[in-house]
Amino acid sequence: MSRETLQESLSAVMDNQADELELRRVLAASDEPELRATWSRYQLARAVMHKELLEPRLDIAAAVSEALADDVAPVAQQVQRGSWRTVGRLAVAASVTVAVLAGVRFYNQDDITGAQLAQQSSQPVLNIPQVSGPAMLAGFNSSDEQAPPAASAVGQGQPGWHEQRLPSYLRQHAQQAAMSTSEGALPYARAASLEGR
Amino acid sequence: MRFIPFGVLLLGSWLALPAAADEGSVMLQRLADAERTLSFQGTFVYERNGSFSTHSIWHQAGEGVALRERLLQLDGSAQEVVRVDGQVQCASGALADQLIDSQLWPARALNAEQLSEWYELRVLGKSRVAGRATDVLALVPRDQHRYGIELHLDQQTGLPLKSLLVNDKGQLLERLQFTQLETDAPVPSNLEPSAGCRPVRLGPVQAQAAEAWRSDWLPPGFSLSSVTQRRSPASDELVACQVYGDGLARFSVFMEPLRGEAVEDVRTQLGPTVAVSRRLKTRDGDVMVTVVGEIPLGTAERVALSMRSLGEVAQ
Repeated sequence: MSRETLQESLSAVMDNQADELELRRVLAASDEPELRATWSRYQLARAVMHKELLEPRLDIAAAVSEALADDVAPVAQQVQRGSWRTVGRLAVAASVTVAVLAGVRFYNQDDITGAQLAQQSSQPVLNIPQVSGPAMLAGFNSSDEQAPPAASAVGQGQPGWHEQRLPSYLRQHAQQAAMSTSEGALPYARAASLEGR
Repeated sequence: MRFIPFGVLLLGSWLALPAAADEGSVMLQRLADAERTLSFQGTFVYERNGSFSTHSIWHQAGEGVALRERLLQLDGSAQEVVRVDGQVQCASGALADQLIDSQLWPARALNAEQLSEWYELRVLGKSRVAGRATDVLALVPRDQHRYGIELHLDQQTGLPLKSLLVNDKGQLLERLQFTQLETDAPVPSNLEPSAGCRPVRLGPVQAQAAEAWRSDWLPPGFSLSSVTQRRSPASDELVACQVYGDGLARFSVFMEPLRGEAVEDVRTQLGPTVAVSRRLKTRDGDVMVTVVGEIPLGTAERVALSMRSLGEVAQ
């Protein structure tokens, strides 16, 4: 069985379009590191295109991170990775434009379950658990160095950039609200809840 | 596109109940007056995704008396704020450390008439909070650009004893709820700041750079309420910050030059607060635009996409 056929099957499986034969083919080959790597890359591209937050605890995301960390050296890999990122960016831009044109309700997918998302977008969607807040909250700390892991959702180039800034932005936002208003306890409580204990 | 009929349905159900609006704005006005004219003290809990904390509040008001308020976190670190006539006098270090060089603009007072343009006021019924009888008032957003709010207002005083922030799926984003309330005037010693409460000093205005930005699109009802600028927490770059509000909801937009760094866009949600970062190309190089606020993700995304530097616009 050729590599190409296998990748086609994999693609079909991920799009929920696979027949039983293809599914068996992919499952049989699922121990191969190469197939797993391809799977991971597809997964990342899909996540980018569908605007899903990659859940860092997921095996698949860990695999992607690992693969990306490992393949800095080879030039060919670099090119491939670059093109993936370009594709991803174009796809992001396109999907955002669509969302803006079509209205943002569709786009508020921060807490939509996989099933709802599938229903609304009429696209087959892999059932990836949506990250809303808890993953970030658990790791959230007022110290700028200990940054929320989920903030680097699709980040590759500079994983530290957002981690260094987002906590501070969040706190500045909350503190400005808490200090500039006389509207009672809520803005204060929000700001206080961002501080470590 | 299934979401359009869904939205129309929602809108229809909101429009079907206009009768309670007047009653609702009376309750909202009573709330605004109560905080200005009544003394009270109590304890409340604040809960959002991943965080739960307990707090005390002492609030002194009335004729011929300075409006004075002290808030103190009771668990974990002792976060504290003391306000006199709406102005912050002091805050515990961690609560104000991001405000260096910030300039604070006067807040908009709660305006029932204005708010009813963006929220439908709906009286939902009665409940009981902190051992007291309350009326439940819902502020249902009239569009998808803000969250809904459910207020449980004390029948005796009009004070909000419970406040819930709810998204368009009805999911709870945060809760503030009193567990105990007394309407006596607080003992003066309870209004005095503790040793850890440091005076808040506000720096001079540095608005030029921040005003070099404007948004092509804003959610209806939101307007610019503050412009600040400060050094980036991670580099020496100056970060422009603009704050927008609709009288209840609020978001901040941060603009930080990237200087050629390759950084991906991110979006994340922290309880009621969303953060969306998007790279923006400008004549002077790429800038990372980050929108942080208590607004839906899609709205934040659209705001981030709509930021323009005035240099670009002039071209």
